[in-house]
Amino acid sequence: MTDARIVGVGMTDFGVHERPLMELFAEATFEAFDDAGVSAPEIDAFYLGNAMGGQTERDTHLAPTLATHVGMAGIPCQRYEDACATSSNAFKHAVRAVEAGQHDVVLVGGVERCTPATGLETPEMTEIFATASHRQYEQPTGLTFPGVFALLTKRHMHEYGTTEEDLAAVAVKNHRHGTHNPRAQFGTETTVEQVLEGPVVADPFRLMDCCPFSDGAAAAVVASEEAAESLAGTPVGVAGVGHATDIVPLADKVDVKATQAARDAAAAAYEDAGIGPQDVDVVELHDCFTGAEILATEALGLVEDGEGGTAATEGRTALGGEIPVNPSGGLKAKGHPIGATGVAQLVELTEQLRGEAGDRQVEDATHALAHNLGGDAATTVVSVLEVAE
Amino acid sequence: MSDDELLTHQTWADALRDGELLGQRCPECGHETAAPKAACGRCGSRALETVALPTAGTVYTETTMSVVPRGFEGPYQVGVVDLGEARVLARLEGEVAIGDRVELEGALEVDGEVAPLFS
Ligand SMILES: [Zn+2]
Repeated sequence: MTDARIVGVGMTDFGVHERPLMELFAEATFEAFDDAGVSAPEIDAFYLGNAMGGQTERDTHLAPTLATHVGMAGIPCQRYEDACATSSNAFKHAVRAVEAGQHDVVLVGGVERCTPATGLETPEMTEIFATASHRQYEQPTGLTFPGVFALLTKRHMHEYGTTEEDLAAVAVKNHRHGTHNPRAQFGTETTVEQVLEGPVVADPFRLMDCCPFSDGAAAAVVASEEAAESLAGTPVGVAGVGHATDIVPLADKVDVKATQAARDAAAAAYEDAGIGPQDVDVVELHDCFTGAEILATEALGLVEDGEGGTAATEGRTALGGEIPVNPSGGLKAKGHPIGATGVAQLVELTEQLRGEAGDRQVEDATHALAHNLGGDAATTVVSVLEVAE
Repeated sequence: MSDDELLTHQTWADALRDGELLGQRCPECGHETAAPKAACGRCGSRALETVALPTAGTVYTETTMSVVPRGFEGPYQVGVVDLGEARVLARLEGEVAIGDRVELEGALEVDGEVAPLFS
């Protein structure tokens, strides 16, 4: 079995784009091709992440369309759709195919449009996002996606004393990080006071506790160790990938604040990589809401259970702190085009491990971890990247 | 238990409209659910028994949503009610908090969809 490498990455700015999916996708893909030093005929297979194109764009057979648009017609293509964990699931399958020797050079791409540029305003998009919850036993209550994470977070606050100020600290941190990321949707700082003054979306979450609606695309070229040696791109190693799911609907979960799928996926990824949480230097995790980041830092073993809130408030998870989380700005400031999010995390971490992250660079990072969550905390993919020997 | 005794969503919804909350109990692992399935969500057993769940419990977690999906009018409160062995996601009335005692009031009906209502 060979090891998988990421040899090239690319992404569009995240924000509002008045362009069709194929054009966004091509921009990210050609950046990844150029970074890797490959051209379309050298790509053996294409793994696409797109979660909502059927509902938002009336486009349900996207992979061959996008492959053709960038000159890859004819190769095997497949689309993954797994709520917000969509493109990290595509990445997992690309890695497994390379490790198994089925393909040598694979393109993984994610693309989505979620802003009003689609023609859909907040109530319609809120309805579409809510389709990632249980059709019969969650949607009829009028539960929203902010509502799902509010239910998890309120229980965490009740049991551990996590405060609204702790939640706001996550937003403040990720906005500060976002000011160093030219591709981020939000490039301005905010304060705890500003976050606490915002309108309530789903208590305890106010507007600034929630990630924005975003449009964007991200792409990565995954290659076998042998193929990577013949390519120009600077490779980083894929040390481990873990993928787990939890019970649906959320009322049936054993402990909603535990986010058990993240714990199981992390355990698998750490074992695969032969490392533990203490060895991780930089993390991109799924902060769709501030409370989601607090729960994830605990589930990944980066902080003790119950300390996720105070860790944010004390700056332990900030750039320069003991374990920097979301140097890119995270979903909160960088943006969250659903199907592009998982691969965009890998774009950031590849740049971090290459030492190319500019003002948001984590010094001497050798191990990086991505955590991408989908549905009502039901799917989690955790990936560990490392500096290639 | 034969297939025709497995609790369906239709039966669950009809019972809820009549003021009764049905669920399933797994004889293998003891897990109870208010969201009927073809097999136990915890252990996979297909030997599920239909049970009448308690109609009173305590609020396990809750949120009040101000920004709501198309088709709904906010703000309103949604929460998970702890019924002992089972928990149920429900619409809540009366601005209740975690730990508060609540009782089943009946069914909330929106566009032919039904959800439990507790207060
Ligand atoms: Zn069972």
